[in-house]
Amino acid sequence: MSGWTFLGPAVLLLVVLGFVTFSILFERKVIGWMQARIGPNRVGPWGLLQTVADIFKLLVKEDTVPAKADRPLFKAAPVIAFVPSFVILAVIPFSEGLVFADIGVGLLYYIAVSSITTIGILAGGWASNNKYALLGAMRSVAQMISYEIPLVMSVAGVVMAAGSLNLTAIVEAQEKVWFIVPQIIGFAVFFTASLAELNRTPFDLPEAESELVAGYHVEYSGFRFAFFMLTEYVYVFAMAALTTVLFLGGWNPLFGLDFIPPILWFALKFGLIVFSLIWIRATLPRIRMDQLMQLGWKVLLPLALFNIFLSAILKEVLSGLY
Amino acid sequence: MIQVSGEFIAFFVVSCFVIGGAVFMIHLVRVVHMVLALAFSLLGIAGIYVLLNAEFLAVVQVLIYTGAVSILMLFGIMLTRHRDREEEGTRLWHSVISFVGVGALFGILIHTIYHTPFAGRTAEVEHYSTARLGETVFKKYVIPFEAVSVLLLVALVGAVILAGKERNT
Repeated sequence: MSGWTFLGPAVLLLVVLGFVTFSILFERKVIGWMQARIGPNRVGPWGLLQTVADIFKLLVKEDTVPAKADRPLFKAAPVIAFVPSFVILAVIPFSEGLVFADIGVGLLYYIAVSSITTIGILAGGWASNNKYALLGAMRSVAQMISYEIPLVMSVAGVVMAAGSLNLTAIVEAQEKVWFIVPQIIGFAVFFTASLAELNRTPFDLPEAESELVAGYHVEYSGFRFAFFMLTEYVYVFAMAALTTVLFLGGWNPLFGLDFIPPILWFALKFGLIVFSLIWIRATLPRIRMDQLMQLGWKVLLPLALFNIFLSAILKEVLSGLY
Repeated sequence: MIQVSGEFIAFFVVSCFVIGGAVFMIHLVRVVHMVLALAFSLLGIAGIYVLLNAEFLAVVQVLIYTGAVSILMLFGIMLTRHRDREEEGTRLWHSVISFVGVGALFGILIHTIYHTPFAGRTAEVEHYSTARLGETVFKKYVIPFEAVSVLLLVALVGAVILAGKERNT
């Protein structure tokens, strides 16, 4: 047990916080650009310190607890929601050897631990004692549960192709061809389901500001609210990293351009995914609740099952390619 | 003297989680709090599985019990909301008799455990991997596995039919 055991996670936390700070700015800038606006440009050069100012505002804001709220649960909910989002980062291999916990069932660990956040969201919505918060929380949980199933099913194809649940082994299996090529259906299902898991447009029904005010965190203010937002963006980080690892070949270089260091390759692919998330947010409108459920159960789930059958057949017939 | 190692400390902390969650589950008055305490306890059990090198089991424990079952219970409580709090006020003799009963059960269990010889050899748990688990389940025990899955499917369809019948009447 060296010093890195304790120092590593702290460094990762700082990296993640930095990512969250600048990805929010980047998101606002990109959306502004796509909608022919300028976006934040007042605080610091090019608006660089906008998010820093926003976070500072949240930190010094009064921490309000509604009088009729369930106090202990109201206070604990942001913590229950946030902790799993950071804990799952332990299994993500950022580069060869740069992984905190190289456990055999890394992929399942990610999926299992991330489901704990749902409890935090539900607890927060319920403890607020507010109908909008409860409705938002219920929607959020219903959505997360229904999309977790296609998400897991779509990943099964990758697991079959790689023959392992270990994320490092999955990346190593993609040395020749990335799984996005043979697993294109799986990728489409995974990407759609991950958008829903992240509660992002077009699946941001839990927050639907025009009908639900703001969903489960409507009663939260100041630092507790910041924690819910932080959870969301840390999940963006984690999900983009997981997509990179599963389908885009992790740190493997493209066209044999291996003079670029592996960690940079990872960052490039990761950035591409984050950009597409923002791009989709700026482009697509929000879908209705019933459409959301139909898409999940009637389109994505059968597609994911079909993908499993296809992968099994391909693995038997073209065993050389896989 | 017990050897204080990392594993021992981890076991101690995880056991505190499990037992603490269980005690809170019994002690708390609001039903939602109880479910959360239970979820905490179940998470601790996953930690014990990790210490026993059963990482697949641990992850499935988190996925099924901490995630799915707790959420299901929370949903059930929130959507029905018939009685939010448990009624207070149990009689003194009731608690005394319960305590005696529980104590007797504890005594019997401890007595049995200490007097049962553990036969057979101990498996080398360090070398068990998820791949081997999968091979065993899908090759050696494939028929029981399929039977269980069919049983669960029947239960699922039965639940849907029963729920549908209730709605129609």
